[in-house]
Amino acid sequence: MTESLIWWSIAIYLLVAIGIALMSRQRPAEGASESMSGYFLGNRQMNGFVSALSYSATTYSAFMMVGLAGLTYAGGVGALGFEIIYFAGVSLVAVFGPKFWAVGKKFGYVTPSEMLGHRYHSKQVAMAVSIASCIFLIPYSAVQLAGVGYLLQGITDGAISFTTGVVLATVIAIFFSYIAGIRSVMWTDSLQAIMMIVASTLVALFVIQGLGGFGMLFDTLATEHPQSLTVPGPGLFSFVTFLGLTIPWFFFSLSNPQVSQRLFMPSSLRSMRHMLIGFLVFGFIYTIVSVLWGFSALAAFPGLASADLATPTLLASEFVPPVLGVIVMIGIMAAAVSTIDSIMLTLASMVSRDVYANVKPNVSEKRQLLVGKFVVPVIALMALAFAELQLDLIAVLSVAASSGLVAMVPALIGAFYWKRGTAAGALTSVVGTSAFVLLMYATGNSLLGLPAGVWGILVASVLFVGVSLMTNPHQATAEAFFTAIAEELGKKRRYSTRQPAKEANS
Amino acid sequence: MERRKRIWLVWAIVLLCYLVPYTLLNGISRWYGSFLFWALAGLVIIALNVYITQDFKEHGDD
Repeated sequence: MTESLIWWSIAIYLLVAIGIALMSRQRPAEGASESMSGYFLGNRQMNGFVSALSYSATTYSAFMMVGLAGLTYAGGVGALGFEIIYFAGVSLVAVFGPKFWAVGKKFGYVTPSEMLGHRYHSKQVAMAVSIASCIFLIPYSAVQLAGVGYLLQGITDGAISFTTGVVLATVIAIFFSYIAGIRSVMWTDSLQAIMMIVASTLVALFVIQGLGGFGMLFDTLATEHPQSLTVPGPGLFSFVTFLGLTIPWFFFSLSNPQVSQRLFMPSSLRSMRHMLIGFLVFGFIYTIVSVLWGFSALAAFPGLASADLATPTLLASEFVPPVLGVIVMIGIMAAAVSTIDSIMLTLASMVSRDVYANVKPNVSEKRQLLVGKFVVPVIALMALAFAELQLDLIAVLSVAASSGLVAMVPALIGAFYWKRGTAAGALTSVVGTSAFVLLMYATGNSLLGLPAGVWGILVASVLFVGVSLMTNPHQATAEAFFTAIAEELGKKRRYSTRQPAKEANS
Repeated sequence: MERRKRIWLVWAIVLLCYLVPYTLLNGISRWYGSFLFWALAGLVIIALNVYITQDFKEHGDD
């Protein structure tokens, strides 16, 4: 694979993606100015197909193809278990999605933090959730950027440096966000998702065929690396580590605002269902493919210096036709970009809506949007700085971000299911757990033998419930919130109770 | 939205995803061990979600 082939491919990808991004633009109605929900939520009118592809592209990023394959290479089949538990956690969308959607529609929320702030009647809650999200998600974006850096460097034998890759991805991410906000992000995401699922599956098939077929691959693993097919396996996935990795990821669909914000966007619950099912099918294929990549790399190249090199080595190998290798490589770069641009947009919307507009009252919608657009590149540049630190196993760093974001989960669940939850409880839970997780990571990530991933959810729950019980809830907003859900979700059912007996029995 | 109550089936599968590979399957170093178990669990989760969200269809486009 030559350097010029890579650069030409990047140029073609950019051309197509920019074309799609430009086409995704929608002019506001005559006389109307662009709104926050228009720019950050696509006017709550996104269809199920684009939503599914974009949800997939935002969630599955460079982490999957570089990180998960690397994790399989280093730790064996436990990586599949880890990902399947995360995948199962997305089923939380089936429970919480309609509720998010209903209150978003009723109260016009743009961000999940705005929703929590309103539900608990506290600006401080909205601000704390926004700031904590920035603290954890900027390193997470850096992980994606580092993924691009490793990939381009590995696949070109260093001809394209780590820094060039990282800077390139940052610039593209800023650009895609600017063209049409979430609309250009979602449409470019969709392009990337389709390209990736086809190309990565082809790569898996080529490589497995090159290694003598599926049976042969697993025979090789069984004889030469038998531990890779069991847990705890070669040692990475002790049960405690597995718990520490999986618990935060299980809650990903709620805890990460760049995906929970997506629950405000579908045009209907039917679209939300398409988003969920589409994502699950996509995610399942992508997961199996990534794990097979890791296994194939282990069978073919057992002595790599770093597990993160598994994917680049595989793509540059004789098993993969160069053109396909380049397509996947560009796809992985695009995957990192599609995750970062969504995170940048979400964080920017949170900073302007929940921090800026709360600190400075009576800020117009136009002004909020301007501030949001200004924050986008600032976040990107911060992620760039983190990526340059080049931390080792990128998957582990991204899990550190998830451990921290778990801080929001009890307050979110409580918002929908526990009227007794209070602002003080939510605030203490978010701030206290974030600080606790940061302290854990600063001091070796082990307390009584358990990692932050396990402690995070326990600490957050105890703080939320404990402090809520000691303080008084704001009854009026809680009632308004619960009534809105019942009304919004109940009204369509009244039109469609054609089978009341069946309904009652189900 | 009654079907959403069946979500506990998903959580039961999740529990099995922790228990089975670390106990029953930890001696099976073949493709039909933990690899197959987790892959099948993934498929069951998709099927359960299709079932649970059936009544989302009632909410057509607004």
